[in-house]
Amino acid sequence: MAAKNFGHAFFCAFITLIISYPIIGFNLEAQGIDVTLTGADTTTIVLVLLAALVVFLFQLFRDQIMGALKRVPMPSSDANKEPMAENKRAKIESWILTGIVVFALFWPFFVSRGSVDLATLVLIYIMLALGLNVVVGLAGLLDLGYVAFYAVGAYTFALLSQYLGISFWLALPIGALLAALFGLVLGFPVLRLRGDYLAIVTLGFGEIIRILLNNWTTLTGGPNGIGGIPDPTLFGMEFGRRIKEEGNTSFHETFGIAYSGEHKVIFLYLISLVLAVFTALVIRRFMRMPVGRAWEALREDEIASRSLGLSRTAVKLSAFTIGAFFAGFAGTVFASKQGFISPESFVFLESAIILAIVVLGGMGSQIGVVLAAIAVTILPELAREFSEYRMLIFGAAMVLMMVWRPQGLMPMRRIHIELEKQE
Amino acid sequence: MKTPVKKLVTAIGASIAVMGAGHAAAEIQIGIAGPMTGPVAQYGDMQFAGARMAIEQINANGGVMGEELVAVEYDDVCDPKQAVTVANNMVNDGVRFVIGHLCSSSTQPASDIYEDEGILMITPASTSPEITERGYELVFRTIGLDSMQGPVAANHLASLNPERVAVIHDKQQYGEGIATAVRDTLTDKGIEVAMFEGITAGDKDFSSLVTKLKQADVDYVYYGGYHPELGLILRQAGQAGLDATFMGPEGVGNKDINTIAGDAAEGLLVTLPPSFDKKEENQELVKAFTDKGEDPSGPFVLTSYTAVQLVAEGIEAADSKDPFEVADALRAGTFQTPIGTVEYDKAGDMESFEFVVYEWHSDGSKTPVN
Amino acid sequence: MQDLLYFSQQLINGLTIGSTYALIAIGYTMVYGIIGMINFAHGEIYMIGAYTALIAITGLATLGVAWLPVILIVALVCAMIVSSAMGWAVERVAYRPVRGRHRLIPLISAIGMSIFLQNYVHLAQGSRNIGFPSLIEGSFRFGSSEGFQMSLSYIQITIFVTTLICMTGLALFISRSRTGRACRAVSQDLGMANLLGIDTNRIISATFVIGAALAAVAGLLLGMYYGSVDPLFGFIAGLKAFTAAVLGGIGSIPGAMLGGLILGVGESMTSGYLSGEYKDVISFSLLILILLFKPTGLLGKPEVEKI
Repeated sequence: MAAKNFGHAFFCAFITLIISYPIIGFNLEAQGIDVTLTGADTTTIVLVLLAALVVFLFQLFRDQIMGALKRVPMPSSDANKEPMAENKRAKIESWILTGIVVFALFWPFFVSRGSVDLATLVLIYIMLALGLNVVVGLAGLLDLGYVAFYAVGAYTFALLSQYLGISFWLALPIGALLAALFGLVLGFPVLRLRGDYLAIVTLGFGEIIRILLNNWTTLTGGPNGIGGIPDPTLFGMEFGRRIKEEGNTSFHETFGIAYSGEHKVIFLYLISLVLAVFTALVIRRFMRMPVGRAWEALREDEIASRSLGLSRTAVKLSAFTIGAFFAGFAGTVFASKQGFISPESFVFLESAIILAIVVLGGMGSQIGVVLAAIAVTILPELAREFSEYRMLIFGAAMVLMMVWRPQGLMPMRRIHIELEKQE
Repeated sequence: MKTPVKKLVTAIGASIAVMGAGHAAAEIQIGIAGPMTGPVAQYGDMQFAGARMAIEQINANGGVMGEELVAVEYDDVCDPKQAVTVANNMVNDGVRFVIGHLCSSSTQPASDIYEDEGILMITPASTSPEITERGYELVFRTIGLDSMQGPVAANHLASLNPERVAVIHDKQQYGEGIATAVRDTLTDKGIEVAMFEGITAGDKDFSSLVTKLKQADVDYVYYGGYHPELGLILRQAGQAGLDATFMGPEGVGNKDINTIAGDAAEGLLVTLPPSFDKKEENQELVKAFTDKGEDPSGPFVLTSYTAVQLVAEGIEAADSKDPFEVADALRAGTFQTPIGTVEYDKAGDMESFEFVVYEWHSDGSKTPVN
Repeated sequence: MQDLLYFSQQLINGLTIGSTYALIAIGYTMVYGIIGMINFAHGEIYMIGAYTALIAITGLATLGVAWLPVILIVALVCAMIVSSAMGWAVERVAYRPVRGRHRLIPLISAIGMSIFLQNYVHLAQGSRNIGFPSLIEGSFRFGSSEGFQMSLSYIQITIFVTTLICMTGLALFISRSRTGRACRAVSQDLGMANLLGIDTNRIISATFVIGAALAAVAGLLLGMYYGSVDPLFGFIAGLKAFTAAVLGGIGSIPGAMLGGLILGVGESMTSGYLSGEYKDVISFSLLILILLFKPTGLLGKPEVEKI
């Protein structure tokens, strides 16, 4: 047994060296007109060797380590504790949530403009992730082209304002509905496909939409994008220094206060906050409704659900459409915040980031998704150095999550009602 | 492993600078925004090197109106989203003068915020015409426009009496902009543009395109875009035996094209800003860069240096630190800079920015044509 | 005559690309045939193969080795070893622990792996495009020197021949060798094969290793043919190869070959007679249409949903 373990450990360490040394240990560099090969510095090589050693030791003592890990009591193990009564837990949760929202309402008035702006971005990602959560987490449909609906929302607002002069508030529902319509039309033929095929097809759709946006220069401006997208107004009051549109007044003049650029940023933040809360509440509602249960039932066992009379197409399509709707929402806000959009904001990487948020947060869990969105967006801002490694870490985290905790960091708890205990 | 540490140190340095900037009074903050990380970080390095040098030298000569310039550096990764965040941070930190951004797609959304918040911006690298087309008061640049470079290339092509020209671009803002300008100028001159087509940036297989070019029997091909794709096109054209001369904008004029195209790069025509670092009057400045171990030959080093110099001279000329007054002073004045005499028109573009046609060689060197 | 030559040239271009798509597609199709999952990271393994080959070639050049066959063989062997090891490790780390769980889980794990490997190479080697020496130069020319001249380059011939050899070898291996027979048994019924004493884990690992080795061959060939590598080019090539696998019928090896050739020729004709701008749209649309109307592909067997 020991000899076999040793052989295996040696083999694993050897493989580790093969896959890391050539790629990390040698650097291809363009020196003038020639490509040259330079060895990496000693620290790197030592690190590679160290990695191989760690793999070796881990594989050698694998049984002991795994055994030891199992003996360590899990701190948050639910098995030993009496679960908190459901209604009590729900009450506490809703109090906490209300508290967070109230805090989020007042918070921007005390912090810097840059933070508020970043927070707006976080809220946009929260909307996106909540929407994708319906599709991936609840209905179990892997959508790799989610960013397409985001693009539809953003471009709808940009085009409507450019050609028809339509304001943010009118464009918001139009953009979301159009994105939902896209979801419906695209979803109808593809939803009968099996999970992995669906993933590929949606990826293809996402790319096609991006290429079309890029190539259809006469309408979308192609790679030049669309600029000059107006900011939202508050009852016809603009937040800019100067009024851009006839008939509007400016916010600071109406209230007789000095102009400050912060008003606009905070206003955008508050709009995003309201929309994000709206998104969360609507989806929460859906989860309790029969359709929400149908999503999960279909995800868990398609054949059983169908034999119980659920219409596969209708259920899947509703999830797909609702997800697309909120992506359209987020897209409109994004276009307004940026003031300028181009196809490069809607690449596959963006879909992958949103998916990473959903996966890390725990598929199906709303609080988890919100926390993950905050972490994923803010961490690279806090540690710039981290941003280089960001995607590497996301990739690794997605694999590790699937291997160890496929239910996510904050797994979803099914909403249910407990009957009173009979005496 | 070495560079991340270096970058970390810079990042910490920058954040200390940001924190420190809030307290001292007798200093003028100059925000520098560009990519420190990400795929185009090598261009960002040029921008930061140029701006830092200018700030250093101006401070050594007593600063501006007796006050020191302080660099505040921001990383936008050339991502439009992060550019907006950076712009908001600038407003936050009370920066009134910005050197940046690098990529046109970042500069454009950021400039909306600067204009709104009364911050003067000079971009040393963004060439998209749209940036200065919107009638903004506070937006300037120290580099030519795509729409200026295109006609220079087209005029040169026309002077070679071509029979048929193909114009190819990479469907990106920069490449398509220049390619369109080239096509329009050529058509105006009555030269047949046999093909006008886009390719996909990041693609590697151009054998079909090359075959098509051969079939169209063109003698000149203009490519609007960057070097990775043109390098491959040159090489695959050489293999397929396409006998045509290629021409491209400054985005292809970099030695990396030789590592990809090899011998096929010989004879490529490139429009470039004149090499400012080769100019007689700049030799002292070039020496200052080389003494610091930095390379002054990149296309954005001296444009970035000039941008800082213009801010300083603009403040002196206006005798005020108000960005709007500085902007007026910049429009009114004539400035002697390392990139030549600078005069601004109403839009914030230089009245003249020269482009020179070079012939590129397979050893990575270049010689001016005519 | 002119048009015919032009058409044949585009056909040759298409077949060249198509045969390398086929080489990569083998990896998708074998893995899918055996464990029924899409190995998203396969395109990255191909990219790593190309990088390793380039590192080996540059290393040999630094050492002063100039004899072409040695360079080619060393580069090929290095690329195959590193890619195979990568394929083995990926399966071990990301797929084996999640095998048999809900369908979505291995898929997300695969996407994570793909992102991870892309950024692994990106961080280690930088994001620049690096030139790849062509090594095999020269070509046959057909047609008059006045008009359109068709050219068939030596590297194109090398690509055809190599692909053909690999495919024949693989077909023989699958049909004749003991491991090959075990592979077929596992793809028919994993549980049953296990009961009959086949070490299924070993067979699955072998599938990943074979697919990765073929992808490495494609990496070296395409690197020489195109002329540069960058960390992102594996993803799109992988997607195209996957399309080829689906087109031919996923799970079927001759199908992968056929699908690759059809896709390659289709792309080349699209950019030759329409416009290169919509090349990718055409291949993605093709993929979607096939999946919608004939998900089993051209040569695939219809799959019965088991309850």
